[in-house]
Amino acid sequence: MMTQQWDVMRELATMQDRMNRIWGNVYDRGREDVSGAGAWLPAVDIYETGDKEIVLKAELPGLKREDIDLTVENNTLTIRGVRRREDGVADGQYHRSERVYGACSRSFTLPNTVDPSRVKAEYRDGVLAVRLPLREEAKPRQIAVDVD
Amino acid sequence: MTLVRWNPARELASMEIDRLNQMFSDFYGGVSRSWVPAVDVYETDTHEFVLKAELPEVKREDIDITFDNGVLTLKGERKAEVETSRDNYHRVERHHGSFTRSFTLPATVDAARIQASYKDGVLTIRVPQREEAKPKQIEIEAD
Repeated sequence: MMTQQWDVMRELATMQDRMNRIWGNVYDRGREDVSGAGAWLPAVDIYETGDKEIVLKAELPGLKREDIDLTVENNTLTIRGVRRREDGVADGQYHRSERVYGACSRSFTLPNTVDPSRVKAEYRDGVLAVRLPLREEAKPRQIAVDVD
Repeated sequence: MTLVRWNPARELASMEIDRLNQMFSDFYGGVSRSWVPAVDVYETDTHEFVLKAELPEVKREDIDITFDNGVLTLKGERKAEVETSRDNYHRVERHHGSFTRSFTLPATVDAARIQASYKDGVLTIRVPQREEAKPKQIEIEAD
């Protein structure tokens, strides 16, 4: 038998593969869910800008504007969408299929400091950008300390 | 508002896959992180290859497509947001940084007629094949 030096990297790579397989199986089970929830989850970044607004950017490449639905209700922002398959392309014509099709949905709880009446959204280059301005009173205020 | 039953499996899957992958790529990649855009490839009825890559919010000028020795390579980079610094992020799930993907195409493709377009975050590359690559009906002759 050949003695081999123990390779941490290879060991880790094997572990990653195994873990992906485990989670992949769970994930597949989740997809069969018929509760109406989204089958896939768009990647989302959320950040705050200097002008005191929160910006949420969701990756929805290949969706049509009319297939994206955005609602704000009871401080919950929900993004729903559907990515439709190409028309007239049968499964047998695919050499490679990595993109996910079907419905997606994600919800976020908004902080009370967001003004829901001024929420704006635009879709460009496959990214939905939602701008959530903060209320005036939520902006930091300097409080003077009176001296007696 | 519709109520959705909480599904721990789905929650875990979406969380763990991303996190684990992030962890591993951080570990391996160090500073230079790269990502892999999802790609579909299909062949149309007219025997043209269509390659569709998801590249949301990647600028056209940051995408580089080359065809060399039968290998189609797309390279590019998604630059970080300019309007904010990293400290102001509440959630980061999207990939930033560079990507590269290569595909070996059959020798029958017509390199001169490859076309690419970008719409709604999807890059579409159309690769036609030469006339002689198209299937031909072969008659069976009778004696």
